[in-house]
Amino acid sequence: MSKNEWMAFVERLISDHPADVFGVKAKGEKFVFDLLDTASELRLDYDTTILPPKKFFLPVCEPMLKFDLSKPFEVTSSAVPTPKVIIGVHPYDIAAIKQMDTYFLDTHADASYLDKRKNTLIIGHNVVNVSDKAFFGDMGTGDVDSGYDLMVTDIGEDVVIDIGTEAGEELLGYASDLRDSSDDEAEMAYGIRQGACESATRGLQIGPKGWNDLLSTNYDSQVWQEQADKCLGCGSCTLVCPTCFCYDVFDDLSLNMNTGDRFRTWDGCLLKGFTAVGSGEIFREKIVDRYRHRFNRKGKYIPDSLGFVACVGCGRCSSQCVPDIADPVNLMNALYEASDYDEYADQEADPLTTSIEAADVGSGEELHLPMPATVTRVQMMTETEILLEIQLDSGEPLGHDPGQFVEVSIMGIGEAPISVSSPPGGDTFEIVVRKVGDVTGKLHAMQAGDKLGIRGPFGTGFDIGELQGKNLLFIGGGLGIVPMRSLLNYVLDNREEFEEVTILYGCKEPCELLFGEEVAQWDERDDVQHMLTVDACPEGECWEGEIGVITTIIPKVVFDPENTIAIVVGPPIMYRFVNRDLLNLGMPEENIIVSLERRMKCGVGKCGHCQINGIYVCKEGPVFNYKDIKEHPEAFS
Amino acid sequence: MKPRVAFFDFSSCEGCQLQVANLEEAVIDVTKLVDIVSFREVMKEHSDDYDIAIIEGSIARPIDVERIKKIRANASILIALGACAHLGGVQRLGNQWTPEENKQEVYAIADPDIITDANPFFEQPRHRAVDEIVKVDATIPGCPIDSNEFARVLVALLQGKALPIPDYPVCVECKKQENECLFTIGEFCMGPVARAGCGAICPTHGNGCEGCRGYISDPHLSAQTEVLKKYGLTAEEIMHKKTMYTYRYIEEAQGGD
Repeated sequence: MSKNEWMAFVERLISDHPADVFGVKAKGEKFVFDLLDTASELRLDYDTTILPPKKFFLPVCEPMLKFDLSKPFEVTSSAVPTPKVIIGVHPYDIAAIKQMDTYFLDTHADASYLDKRKNTLIIGHNVVNVSDKAFFGDMGTGDVDSGYDLMVTDIGEDVVIDIGTEAGEELLGYASDLRDSSDDEAEMAYGIRQGACESATRGLQIGPKGWNDLLSTNYDSQVWQEQADKCLGCGSCTLVCPTCFCYDVFDDLSLNMNTGDRFRTWDGCLLKGFTAVGSGEIFREKIVDRYRHRFNRKGKYIPDSLGFVACVGCGRCSSQCVPDIADPVNLMNALYEASDYDEYADQEADPLTTSIEAADVGSGEELHLPMPATVTRVQMMTETEILLEIQLDSGEPLGHDPGQFVEVSIMGIGEAPISVSSPPGGDTFEIVVRKVGDVTGKLHAMQAGDKLGIRGPFGTGFDIGELQGKNLLFIGGGLGIVPMRSLLNYVLDNREEFEEVTILYGCKEPCELLFGEEVAQWDERDDVQHMLTVDACPEGECWEGEIGVITTIIPKVVFDPENTIAIVVGPPIMYRFVNRDLLNLGMPEENIIVSLERRMKCGVGKCGHCQINGIYVCKEGPVFNYKDIKEHPEAFS
Repeated sequence: MKPRVAFFDFSSCEGCQLQVANLEEAVIDVTKLVDIVSFREVMKEHSDDYDIAIIEGSIARPIDVERIKKIRANASILIALGACAHLGGVQRLGNQWTPEENKQEVYAIADPDIITDANPFFEQPRHRAVDEIVKVDATIPGCPIDSNEFARVLVALLQGKALPIPDYPVCVECKKQENECLFTIGEFCMGPVARAGCGAICPTHGNGCEGCRGYISDPHLSAQTEVLKKYGLTAEEIMHKKTMYTYRYIEEAQGGD
């Protein structure tokens, strides 16, 4: 159709759907996707927008739930979005949306995302002006053949429109004077697309397929520190990125102290608090670790897990980075030049192997909607630990595996990941909570009959089948006994399924010992070998066990290292020493099972906070085989 | 019983208390949560019987030090309200010079005789943040404070929850507002090191952030200095850019006076 007719088409769309038609507009010297008042506001000559269209599907800050504290436990999900049309999306952003589909819909399809995605029509527009930072030509994302409802190419007097979907075709009902494009016109459109791709090349020396190898072999490169020294840690690169999807969740209680919302909002792995857990531990404390994580997620972790490079070459990160160290082209080239390897050269671009189409996903899950539950019993265990027995209000059992965790919600306060401490089965389950933060503080004030919210069970727990018929050595340190107990009590209740069982349990001081009554029962059993230790025993406290860190008692018990499975759960520092000693005794790596703590916020591998390198602890863990996880430098660092 | 709240002002413009008064109808919600027993801007009554003391202003003269200590002794919770109480305010810039120099600069040009007067109103005291004198339980940063943040802090205090004051830089909120980065159009901004929570209100309106909410807890200052050099600022200009609200940090780095 003619350009004039195309503008008239947009105008008719806007007048029929005044609240729903979005497009690219100028903002100062830059461009943004925003609500269109008239077609004349459309700036399809734009180079790139400040924020990518991900903001329509994962809004900057969106209410997930509403709660009312005056009701026993009333939580409702937020409303379904109204339909939208977005005009002018560039091919690289369409590629990013396709990646986003796979990320949010692959497993645990996110209903909130899916609803918005399905309610949105995308009218793409091939690039007219190329941003000087863009490198989508290097990334192979400058020309897409799907992911849009309509795709427009400006060929001068006329525009050529490719129809991507039936919904797109229906939308053309608003157009008049449509005609089939001639071969010449199709050829011109192709030429324009190719021209943009050729302009959007910036001398990337190693194609996206080679990034994985490059990053794997240069994890300890000096380049990381050199670049990170210049990094402000401001998080801008992640926020403006079309393929950064990490988000945080928080509760906002209104001044009436009664009603409020639970929101999710964009977060970024460059920010220091990103990995902080309730106890205050930060797992990527140094800026160099955070800086390296961002590039590894793009070029290695996502390719490993989902099969595509999570960078589409839009250039937003580099144009927004004040010290100019966020540019993937510069970083990959610097790594390449600093490394001894050259076998990654001439890698072709192929980042578009996404696997999920939003249209094919029937319905999503309300990922953040907790199930109502009731506290049925509380028991103070020490000055800082409380045990809560909980029953889901549905009457259904939790159905967890040992080693799994739940997200416990107190509306208005927040949510915290907490290990299930009771063995599988039963109508109720138990958690043990140390008072370290807001949610755990409130849990300490709870009484039988109080309501809370539960999501889960989440994660990969201990595989009982793998352990049956084996000798088992449990090594628990401090709070590590809590998740370990879910397996330990199963083993003790089904003792005949296992061979030798040895339990080593250590804590800082005698007053911190948990499950004292159960520990006393180990004494009475002749089918369990056990030993207890404390790091120190203050004067006046009664203690009959050993004194010394947990590694000092490993040599004091008898077990066959080569034919025993060790289950090791404790604080981060403990793993390094215990695992080292077990390996020195001749225990094979694959015989060591660990459970690791990280910031599990969503529980379903979406929010990004719990990652150990590319591993989502909330999905693939928290229980890991040492042999598998030790390859990941962040696991025990 | 509702907690009793009293507002106090020290060296300040009282603009932060005005922000609280500006909550307008939401003030009614506030009064359902707490009893306000002292608030000079909206009521004439005053009481020394309070649980929560909200302090605006920097602590300057010896009599102010005595007064804040008394308030601290009376209050179970003490809140520092705004940049003056949190950091020492813009007036803290005066600490760069001796009291005598300040007196000369401020008054002597107009009337050389006046400074010979022993009038205590012409004293040029050192400005301090409240937490440099007494223990502070909560800080609401900003010049002025954000009234919605005041409400959120109040709710969190009553909930017994960690205060919802962000510890990430202004850039985060600025990006979420989809602003044009001021650096990209040749302007200077403290956003990369300054604490968010203001919704990036200054950059959103085209003005560079001055860092009125102080630094985040781990600002990457050496990288910031490099950036400023890159943008052609001299060492002196860099210092100037870093002092408007954040002279406290420079004084602390120098080990005080």
